Amino acid sequence: MAKALSGLAAKAPGMIKGVVDYSTPKLNTFWHYARVELTPPTPADIPKITTGLQSLVKSAKTGKWKQVTVKEAWLNTLITAEIAFWFFVGECIGKGSIVGYKV
Amino acid sequence: MAALAPVQVSPLIKFGRYSALLLGIMWGSHRFRVNKAAEDSWRAEEAERKVIRDAQKAEEKLRFNREELLYLAKQAGVKVPPNF
Repeated sequence: MAKALSGLAAKAPGMIKGVVDYSTPKLNTFWHYARVELTPPTPADIPKITTGLQSLVKSAKTGKWKQVTVKEAWLNTLITAEIAFWFFVGECIGKGSIVGYKV
Repeated sequence: MAALAPVQVSPLIKFGRYSALLLGIMWGSHRFRVNKAAEDSWRAEEAERKVIRDAQKAEEKLRFNREELLYLAKQAGVKVPPNF
């Protein structure tokens, strides 16, 4: 056991460097996309948000939603599903566990 | 596959995502607190009932042991001491 630990301590700097070398490019690509796509909305976006909501309501009221193509409808379904998944991720964070309430 | 340019996500979608995340966190913590309160009160009541149950079981165990020994003594023809 002591020999295993001392062997690990000898190899640890090499292992850490390997992990860093492997993950840095991947983190860079993640950051490259996340900086544009995953940032929260800023207060400057509020007018765009309100116009977006109004166009949704208008489309529901005038019946324009029936003229949407199947491809568009499928995309909208996927986007709605993604927003629902964010809710469930938030619930997992709020309850402090992935599966079930560990009361 | 060449690297795709990042997509300009509509602010409405971003607003929906992050408000769903926030609502989810609030909902999760609320349900956790409610469930924990219910479970804690059940555990307190169960602890009280367990004390009573354990006392009953111990007393029953003594009684059954004594009766079993008396029966075995009768079957084996062993004389029972007076204050058993």
